[in-house]
Amino acid sequence: MRHGKYRFLAGAMALPLLLYGVFVLWPYVQAFYLAFTDWNGLSSGAKFTGTENFTKLFSDPLFLAALRHNGLMLVAVPLGTIAIALFLSAATQRTKVYRVVYFFPQLLSVAIIAVLWQFIYTPNSGLLNGLLRGIGLGSWAKSWLAEPNFALIAVMVVMVWSAVGFYVVLFTAAMESIPGDIMEAALIDGASPARIFWRITVPLIWDSVQVAFVYLGIAALDGFALVQIMTVGPGGPDGSTEVMGLGLWRNAFTYGKFGYACAMGVTIFFLTLSIAALFLKATKRDQVELA
Amino acid sequence: MKMKHLVLTLWAFVVTTPLLWAFMSSFKTDSEIFDSPWALPSAVRVENWGRAWEQASMGKYLLNTVIIVGGALVLTMLLGALVAYCLARYTFPGNRAIYYTLVAGMLFPVFLALVPLFFVVNQLGMLGTYHGLILVYAAYALPFTVFFLHGFFRSLPSAVAEAAFIDGASHTGVFFRVMLPMARPGMVSVAIFNFVGLWNQYLLPLVLNPDPDGYVLTQGLAALAISQGYKSDWSGLFAGLSIAILPVLVAYLLFQRQIRAGLTAGAVK
Amino acid sequence: MNPTRRVLLAGAAAATLAGCATSGTDNDNASKGNKTPENPLGVPAESALEVVIFKGGYGDDYALKAGSLYKQKFPKAAVDHKGIQRVGEVLQPRFVADSPPDVVDNSGAGRLDLATLVASGKLTDLKELLDAPSYDDPAKKVRDTLMPGVIEEGTFDGKALILNYSSVLWGIWYSKSLFAKNGWTYPKTWADMLALCEQIKGKGIAPWTWQGKYPEYINDPLISMAAKAGGFELVKAIDNLEANAWKSPAMIAAAEAIYQLAVKGYIMPGSEALSHTEAQNAWCKGQAAFIPCGSWLEGEQQAVTPAGFDMVMGTVPALTASDKLPNGAVMAASSESFLVPAKAKNPQGGLEFLRMLFSKQVSKSFVESAKALPVVNGATEGLTLTSGLGSVGEAQKAAGANIFGFRFRTWYAPLSKALDDASGELLTKRINPAQWAERVQKAADDVAKDSSVKKHRR
Repeated sequence: MRHGKYRFLAGAMALPLLLYGVFVLWPYVQAFYLAFTDWNGLSSGAKFTGTENFTKLFSDPLFLAALRHNGLMLVAVPLGTIAIALFLSAATQRTKVYRVVYFFPQLLSVAIIAVLWQFIYTPNSGLLNGLLRGIGLGSWAKSWLAEPNFALIAVMVVMVWSAVGFYVVLFTAAMESIPGDIMEAALIDGASPARIFWRITVPLIWDSVQVAFVYLGIAALDGFALVQIMTVGPGGPDGSTEVMGLGLWRNAFTYGKFGYACAMGVTIFFLTLSIAALFLKATKRDQVELA
Repeated sequence: MKMKHLVLTLWAFVVTTPLLWAFMSSFKTDSEIFDSPWALPSAVRVENWGRAWEQASMGKYLLNTVIIVGGALVLTMLLGALVAYCLARYTFPGNRAIYYTLVAGMLFPVFLALVPLFFVVNQLGMLGTYHGLILVYAAYALPFTVFFLHGFFRSLPSAVAEAAFIDGASHTGVFFRVMLPMARPGMVSVAIFNFVGLWNQYLLPLVLNPDPDGYVLTQGLAALAISQGYKSDWSGLFAGLSIAILPVLVAYLLFQRQIRAGLTAGAVK
Repeated sequence: MNPTRRVLLAGAAAATLAGCATSGTDNDNASKGNKTPENPLGVPAESALEVVIFKGGYGDDYALKAGSLYKQKFPKAAVDHKGIQRVGEVLQPRFVADSPPDVVDNSGAGRLDLATLVASGKLTDLKELLDAPSYDDPAKKVRDTLMPGVIEEGTFDGKALILNYSSVLWGIWYSKSLFAKNGWTYPKTWADMLALCEQIKGKGIAPWTWQGKYPEYINDPLISMAAKAGGFELVKAIDNLEANAWKSPAMIAAAEAIYQLAVKGYIMPGSEALSHTEAQNAWCKGQAAFIPCGSWLEGEQQAVTPAGFDMVMGTVPALTASDKLPNGAVMAASSESFLVPAKAKNPQGGLEFLRMLFSKQVSKSFVESAKALPVVNGATEGLTLTSGLGSVGEAQKAAGANIFGFRFRTWYAPLSKALDDASGELLTKRINPAQWAERVQKAADDVAKDSSVKKHRR
């Protein structure tokens, strides 16, 4: 009865795999090769330079700064987003309208988000300083994106802002699937809401939290579009918001060092891969089995 | 309890303010935007929208975007569902290798591939064409689609499919008549994600779609954002932003129930 | 029908004949037609022409105009005009694939790196165009219709590969009406500038603002002052990456001078985070008295400048009484880099397009629509200039031979970035002039040491 299985498989998968191979894999394979050349992005040929690009990379102060910043974002953005999202999803149960609204930023392209937030942070007519002055905290007003101590934080706030809604929806969906009798039993046992949240809710939706960590970790290694559109310089002031993607972009398209940029890309790829693996491993815990 | 609602309202405020503000600014004059960013427009200047629609060709870009995103969406969903289904429900040599290769696509930094990708598309003679962009969009949306639907197909009970096979249904028949309908909630939510993602795609068209007449919305907006830097047409920029935001927002509001349903199903494997 | 006859007919009655001359389909793809006095560059009359123009502060009306001249002369040629931003991102892959357009205006943020284009041999030598008779006067070669220095600026290793269209001067801008109302006069020396700033501040107006989001804007007055104090030798030393050029007394004194603006609180608060548009708008609203910018400012601000504002550009004040260059000396360069790619399908058409672009007719329309000065001699003849453009023209006249320009920006992009970053820090007082010089010199030394960077000398 299951004859023709392989014919079906071949027929079903040939086209999508071809498409993926031609338009996705093949270009990346070429980029991997270019990482070992001095290609300038315009010439028809390139000289093979071995691992030179990679050795240069790790003595490039801007790239090292970018590594630090992406590393910081890697810790702060997932933690911040997940903390806020968990809190909001616990609080928002049965008030669906909030969840609908929270999801909005997810619908916007990064370019739009960056343009919007530029107007929020701009010092003199910006929304944020306007608000601070309006509520009597005028002394807190700053040139948010022009202060080395705040610029990166300002960028991370935007990342968290745009991501929270998605995870609220994800977490509430997971929470809704927790059987009601577990909660009732806990309530009857006299457990406090905080205790229920930490001991029952979070462990039961841990799968989703884990997925969130991986996704957010990957997003934190990017940040290119936000930094490119919003920040001083861009990447400033004085390199304080430099991220790896920006360095790649600048080297490729402004300096014409395409081989070098590809080496950055390859490094980013392996970093992303290891982060994903690491997060999955670190957040692994025993599944809470529902009897 | 009060505290809880205060926080919920506060976040709602934080989320909606920038959007409402952009929308409001799209009806203001340039000097109103700068001088009194918080104030309501003194008059509703619909001509900003007209300017964005006509002069900045947002109308044309909207049409291009609808065609390309629509085509790519249908293709991605069909191909993605097929691959995910095969990988999730059949054992065959190379299954895991194919799955991981596909899913790894989510980890690549896209602009690493841009220039080589240009050559591929150029050699196929598909540069700046609808079908070229549709194919590329679909190829780049495939990893997430497969990743998501793979989990989904695995979670579906096999009893119904078994029964259909016993009744003599073919593999193709089982997929289209049994499994696909069962996977509907997952399909809908992944379709929405893809729609939002493709709608907001910027890097791919930037390189593969060089002709200003064929621009998609994001390209048009970027061009507008840059050229307003030279011409200082801020109100037009906000009108353009609103034109780009509204369709996704409406689509989301119409389908938000399904998205949540899909997520519920997807998250709990 | 041979091309020559068709061109003659076309010249006589352009549009009406376009529909008639349909028979000949020969030499469609030939890249060269016959050279004749009417067609000195031997343009194939039927080949399509693809033009890609950076549509930024100057718009692209002038290029459209050149395109319509082309269409008039070669009615059978399809002219494909594209006005875009981010030229580099769009064109880079096409250059790699050797299928570029026929003419490119490679300008604006996100343009292709000129040094890389040159090094990769992607550009056509423009000698043929420069030696061709000019569009307006067949007795005059194109090269003789251009302002001095323009051809040199686009010459690499003895080949003229780029021709810039717009002449740009850098200075400090102010509102003539605002100054008249308050009885202020534009300062001649930096000491006067600081004294005037104190007065302006007393009136409750911020003396300066600047485009802090893109720190390069403040570099222009800074290195202008250094050049005026240190003379042409300093300019050369900087461009040639000489040891300690950035630590020369003139350079440090110029950094110190600009630094004083920040130290004395003469800069509008928040300027360090403003984009060029935001800062310039604040200045146009009278929130600040001075802003540094190139001569494109008036055109860029057209839509938002209040009536009666009367913006004018002053040349950067003298740094000291013993400056090596006279007071009127001004930093200038040409911009809007036009080029014909080496692998263009219709290179002759590309050159012909440029011949038309550099005509009196088109350059006049550039003055009017773009509010800027083209590099074509006599383009402003018979035109009434706006206040800003008039002041730029006068500054140019006053400078005479004392026009200087730095090349390191196009030659060594990483050095530019280091300078921008350092200047941003200087203006926010996070570093002092000595530290500034230290940092920039180190960046220059790094470039000098890097064997993978192609070096240029002047």
